[in-house]
Amino acid sequence: MDSEMFANRASPKSLASALAYTSQGNRRDEALSPDGAVEPEWYDLFESINRHGLDTLIDWKTVAARISRERGLAYRPASLDESNEKGWTLGPIPWIISPERWAVFEAGISQRNRLFEELLKDIYGPQRTLKEGLFPAEILLSHRGFLRSLHNLPPGNGVIGLGISAFDVARDSAGQTFVVNDRFDSPFGLGLALENRTVVNKVLPRLFGRCGIRRIGQFFTDWFDYLGRCAPSGSGAPQVVILDPSESGQDSEIGFLANYCGISRVHPSDLTVRDGRVWIKALNGLVPVDVIWKTMPGRDMDSLESENAWARGTAGLFEAIRGGGVAVASHPGSEVLQSPGFYPYLPKICRSLLDEDLLIPPVATWWCGKPEALSHVLTNLSSMVIKPAGYHHDFSTRYGSRLSAGELSDLKSQIMASPNRFVGQDELLISTIPTSRGNQLVPRGGVLRMFSFKDGDNTTQVMPGGLARVSNAEGVVVSTRECGESKDVWVRSPIVEKPFSISSALSLTHLATPDIVPSRTGENLFWTGRYAERVDVISRFAARIVDVQISSFSHDEDFGQKHEKFLLKALFGIFGTKNPAKKAKGTDDRLRLILEDPNCTVSVPYNLNRFYNATQTTREEWSPASTLAISSCLNEWNSPASGGPLETRFDSKLKMLQLNLSAFLGLNLDSMTRDEGWALLDAGRRLERLFVICGLLRFLLKTKFSEDMSTFFNESILYILDSVRTFQSKFHETPSTELTVRLLLGEQDYPRSGSNLLHRLSHVLLKLPSPGHHEHPRDRIDPWIARVSEFTSEMENGHFERKSTLAMLDEMQGFLSALSDALTVSYFSHAEENI
Amino acid sequence: MSATVRYRVRHLTAYHYSGRIDLCHSHAHLTPREDKVQEVLSHQLNVTPTPHFQVVRKDYFGNPTDYFAIQGSHEQLEVISTFTVEKSSAPPVLPDSGEPWDRLYDRAVMIAQDDTGVCLGNYLLPTLPCPSLPDLDLFLNPSLTPGREIMDLVNELMFRVFTEFQYVAGATENSTPLQTVLDQKKGVCQDFAHVMIAALRRLNIPTRYVSGYLETIPAPGTIKLQGADASHAWLEVYTSATGWVGFDPTNNKLPGHQHIKIAHGRDYFDVRPLRGTFIGSGNQKLTVEVDVERI
Repeated sequence: MDSEMFANRASPKSLASALAYTSQGNRRDEALSPDGAVEPEWYDLFESINRHGLDTLIDWKTVAARISRERGLAYRPASLDESNEKGWTLGPIPWIISPERWAVFEAGISQRNRLFEELLKDIYGPQRTLKEGLFPAEILLSHRGFLRSLHNLPPGNGVIGLGISAFDVARDSAGQTFVVNDRFDSPFGLGLALENRTVVNKVLPRLFGRCGIRRIGQFFTDWFDYLGRCAPSGSGAPQVVILDPSESGQDSEIGFLANYCGISRVHPSDLTVRDGRVWIKALNGLVPVDVIWKTMPGRDMDSLESENAWARGTAGLFEAIRGGGVAVASHPGSEVLQSPGFYPYLPKICRSLLDEDLLIPPVATWWCGKPEALSHVLTNLSSMVIKPAGYHHDFSTRYGSRLSAGELSDLKSQIMASPNRFVGQDELLISTIPTSRGNQLVPRGGVLRMFSFKDGDNTTQVMPGGLARVSNAEGVVVSTRECGESKDVWVRSPIVEKPFSISSALSLTHLATPDIVPSRTGENLFWTGRYAERVDVISRFAARIVDVQISSFSHDEDFGQKHEKFLLKALFGIFGTKNPAKKAKGTDDRLRLILEDPNCTVSVPYNLNRFYNATQTTREEWSPASTLAISSCLNEWNSPASGGPLETRFDSKLKMLQLNLSAFLGLNLDSMTRDEGWALLDAGRRLERLFVICGLLRFLLKTKFSEDMSTFFNESILYILDSVRTFQSKFHETPSTELTVRLLLGEQDYPRSGSNLLHRLSHVLLKLPSPGHHEHPRDRIDPWIARVSEFTSEMENGHFERKSTLAMLDEMQGFLSALSDALTVSYFSHAEENI
Repeated sequence: MSATVRYRVRHLTAYHYSGRIDLCHSHAHLTPREDKVQEVLSHQLNVTPTPHFQVVRKDYFGNPTDYFAIQGSHEQLEVISTFTVEKSSAPPVLPDSGEPWDRLYDRAVMIAQDDTGVCLGNYLLPTLPCPSLPDLDLFLNPSLTPGREIMDLVNELMFRVFTEFQYVAGATENSTPLQTVLDQKKGVCQDFAHVMIAALRRLNIPTRYVSGYLETIPAPGTIKLQGADASHAWLEVYTSATGWVGFDPTNNKLPGHQHIKIAHGRDYFDVRPLRGTFIGSGNQKLTVEVDVERI
């Protein structure tokens, strides 16, 4: 087989033409030599495409999209469109780099990392570079990311230099390598790089194996090992956390990281500073933190010292840093180093700080604060890229080549009004990399984001891979905002590397195992449980309404409409909202409200989004299968429905949703550790079901139905609570109010009954620690178990009275609300609010 | 120091909360700094309830700062700063810098250091509360006669702020933008200092914000009321020939022994007397009392 393949081996030149792949005008293409032949490191990829035919590109893309979607990568609910990941798609074709080229990149980035590390030390220390005039003072002193409060930190403080830095590397048409961006303050893309690798590895497993690709897992292990070693002295098993400010799935790439590395992810509000140390507010009390890896803007980290009055940081954090109570990576004041204002001066700074020549030059840059630079930029404005020199929320990068004459003159006056604030850069004609478009292979401009960090032994670790980003169209621009596609980066290895398991590697480090459940995570798990059940119930309501409608077409339409009205009234009654369906005229409008309106609090989409958001804040908790179930809930609900009337379109979607939800809930039952977090998820589910049972039965008892309707409505209740079969096998009778109440409230052995749910709830709350100065919420349940059981035995003896039952249910409703509040006060609310 | 005057200052800040506060982190600039004309004889910062954690450091500008945290539940917080200083009683004189405001600006001034080792660039660049507004030129222009000496110019600008702006307590808040102050021509000492700072920085003259206290003298025949004094703010201007020279636009005065300095920075936000983050529930009521007493 091998020899046969070898015999048929196409020449590198014919391979390129077989795939109709040529470079774009005079732009350099990374996969092609100047004479148009496929470069050796790309050969296997091209050959594989050629062998399978160009249509295989479509398959690769489809498979990649499916895997990303299942892993929750691409999905963004419409309400979260602020995310900078929006529009990110993964292109299956990697950027492949030869060992020789990589060596050049690696040496350059490694030097750059050392250079900025020294510059950081200097500007937050003696400021020799500033005082010697190696760069204009404005670049440092007027930058809002220069945090004076962290200047001259006492020795032994816990700042871990730059931490993981990101450098965007590009090549121009002459093949010269440039750095186009430096990112130190929580660079974006590390989690995405990891995720892309995982997905592409699944799409092209054979090719990956055949090519011999450097593995990136070791980089993360080394990083965490280093973080652990940075812990303030005295911690045997240091507690390392990832600090992530996002409230929901907005920055899910950080969730990937935490998930992959098994490190706790905390929100600033999960942390508190006491005694000069940082602590996690966990369900079982305060847990000390030794090392923080931050993924939030440094200047917002401490709400006490931030210039930004709305900063959502942790008050006192900077003092904890100054006092050495915690180690933080990266230095919260590293943002200032991202300024392109340093670029023109970097060669000089490099010689001064490292006594070396800068290996990879920055893009040619002019800081407009100098008159001669200003006039150069203004004269050549139409071929320049204009960027802010410091932090400016009101100006984003402009490309002169894309502006109209009017826009150019506006830009000109903007620059002239405050030249200090701007730099101009040459617009590079960046090299292209092969990208798939449909069943074609096309060249697209590409930028490579490389990641590195300097560890304690003064060596720099560069991740052998990275994140490639390509432009949307044939244009030259690649920016985070406009980027069309991200790609995996394959660095070819001369030797075959062994597969790498990060979890086993991490277990060799001495980090504390994260078995803490931060209070906020606990709260989100609780609400995940509640919303999962709520979505299930609402979808069953909707399905029932659809059924009633369909059958009423052939039977009594009037009766059907009445039935439907009762159902809607019950639905809105249970969840305590005004019934907007009253205004909706036709049946379709009312259904639409529940099935399609994302603002209606009893609609499927509204609650599904809530459910999704709650799960995204706690990503680390979910197994891969649970993650798949979560994304299936959303993806299938949001997938375009086939045509036909509303009721038939949604019929199968509702069933799929119920199926996916039960898969999610069932998986958690099996795969989650029975810790406090699981207890809260389970408690949320039980409590929600109890609320629903209580509400439905109250409605049943309160409402006057005709005899026919009573039977039908009882059936509806049994359907909504998925209890039709149990009812039939137990009673062999037409549903009546009495029997429905007996089954759904009193039947102790039936898992869906109120009585059983109360038992389960009491049992599961045992897992939760005793809250400090409050009574244990569990203690409130026992009296109700007794009461319901007394009620049941009376019913079994034939005593059933509507009025007293209703009174009891009313009281029970109040008890359930009080219990929910008690859980909040005991475990979630630190009643914390910054004044 | 030849002839001297001594002062005792007591500055009380109290917060009463309607609810319960569980945790409070605070930063204070309440300890006076020393310089050629001011010696600190004693200083005490009393915080009630007693902080669980307290650190004294120096900030970027060399001002003493206190950080403290109260980690238990409390319903009120009282911070009392008490100190005595000895000040030279020599009357201030307006020095001559020998430098016209329209001199050829040398960028090297940015990285020149003052007597505290801080680069002057810090005091030359706009900040959030002191932005480089074009409207500042409207204020500057009438005084910008060619070749005018810097100190003479600043002295006139001080007089013009004093006469053209109205002192109205409560007319502004900490967050009021400078443009509003320029438009309404009303404000308090902090706003007047910011107006002059922002204007002078437009002329590339290093200028810094000063926080402190002012001795007030009761009208003849009346008794000085307790707590009647207040925090005060003024500014200082730098030239290489003169070093830092103070100006108080609120009173149209060169600061002398009656001006007791606490701290200086680029603007008010660098030297806020007390900044805190309180974690808990409820509203707060703030009480401030300042007494400056000659001893």
